[in-house]
Amino acid sequence: MTASTATETGAAIVKLEDVHLSFGQTEVLKGIDLTINKGDAVSIIGPSGSGKSTILRCINALVTPQSGKITVAGTRVDQLTKESERIQLRKRVGIVFQQYNLFPHLTVLDNIVLAPTKILGADRTATVKLARELLEKVRLSEKADAYPGQLSGGQQQRVAIARALAMKPELVLFDEVTSALDPETVGEVLWVIRDLIRDGMTSILVTHEMRFAEEISDTVVFTENGRIVDHGSPQQIFHTTDNPRIRQFVGGLSGGGRGAVRDGEGI
Amino acid sequence: MQDMNLTGLFIDLMGRLGLNYEFLATGYEAQIWRDGFITTLYLVAVTIPVSLIVGLIFAACLTSGRLWLSAPVRGFVELTRNTPTLVQLMFSFLVLNTVVSNMLGGAQNNPLSPFFWVVAVVGLHVAALHAEAIRGGIEAVPSSMIEAARGMGFSQFEILRYVQIPLAFRASLPAIVNGLISLVKSTTVGNAIAVSEITYASIMVWTQRDNVVELMIVLLAFFSLINFVVARVGSWVERRLAIPGYGL
Repeated sequence: MTASTATETGAAIVKLEDVHLSFGQTEVLKGIDLTINKGDAVSIIGPSGSGKSTILRCINALVTPQSGKITVAGTRVDQLTKESERIQLRKRVGIVFQQYNLFPHLTVLDNIVLAPTKILGADRTATVKLARELLEKVRLSEKADAYPGQLSGGQQQRVAIARALAMKPELVLFDEVTSALDPETVGEVLWVIRDLIRDGMTSILVTHEMRFAEEISDTVVFTENGRIVDHGSPQQIFHTTDNPRIRQFVGGLSGGGRGAVRDGEGI
Repeated sequence: MQDMNLTGLFIDLMGRLGLNYEFLATGYEAQIWRDGFITTLYLVAVTIPVSLIVGLIFAACLTSGRLWLSAPVRGFVELTRNTPTLVQLMFSFLVLNTVVSNMLGGAQNNPLSPFFWVVAVVGLHVAALHAEAIRGGIEAVPSSMIEAARGMGFSQFEILRYVQIPLAFRASLPAIVNGLISLVKSTTVGNAIAVSEITYASIMVWTQRDNVVELMIVLLAFFSLINFVVARVGSWVERRLAIPGYGL
């Protein structure tokens, strides 16, 4: 259940050990240790620029750290030297971004079908069937033939989640997936993610939705200045922590009514 | 014959307007002229796909991020953009073609015809223009979209093939159509190395018949018609590829 307990390596699907990463002169990660078990939902919270999104990009081999060990689903990510090896890893690890990034020239259905058929070589008929099931799951069946430009932000983000799931990933990374959405559509995206976590999908979320993080996470990780300041159950991080910095951050963000409105309504 | 009667009628009618098309009734000159139309159409039909395919390859090289691919193409694009097509054609035919002939042990062994050199020079010249337009489109694809595709396991080539080129092609289509219109007009440089396209054929006829105005009217109408068709096909493709709800 808890992250960073090195004894549970048997069930660990993601393990970062003393990961250091710099972009040029800027040190972004200053020794990250993190263990995530299969089936867990882990939220990474913390102020902007604390390295949250970079942690996700390390797990997906989109960036390579200067030092440290990263193990994802049995693969030593830090030791991958060829782009083709990193591509093999990325096919197994889904990632959804803040800006949805759907392919604007393809219909919703083709957005979902493209990668499995062209990248994994999956059968098209079976993939179309899977894509329709996933669209049902994210409640967008009627939008299969629409183009991304015709959808709202929340709808596009749900398609992006379905697109990631079509690759049948072993875990999914969510990088501030609701940050670009207007408050009214945040709920519909969180609903989809909550459903996914209940189905047992290993999920790592970088999020500013504190109420949501508290509700769905097995573990919450607080980062600041490239380090993990603390981690623990949502109860620990959000309510019983002694760390004044975390109390200040959590209180400042979820103390008002905003979190409750965004999380609760329209679901 | 019906055909001869029609030709005769046309010559007679034009004669009343003061225009001299009498050569159409002769065998030899009429044949040269008819072949000129066909050669020009053939040149256009071959050079357009050559320019598009090479332009796409050039654009892919320019945006590959690999110096050994981008540097030679960049050099070629600059050279071909900044020098006259006519000079390029003469250089190719008089210098390169001679080098090839010498290497093969004589002109009789050289399979490269003047027609080939027109297709190569005009095709590559316009390809350089296409490449610049497509490159602009490729570089306009947001980096966040490319990162998303990378994150899903697309290789650099697959991103180019499935994401960047489809978007870049749409964005650069108006510029590509302009390039193709200029290509159609540029095929006339062939007359400098005796490719018997329509301007060459017309010159052959009017030096004998002194009917420059009559042939000019047809020449101008002919090129206007070809480019009218090119522009219409271009806007048809543009409409077909338009993305609903997207700026392109």
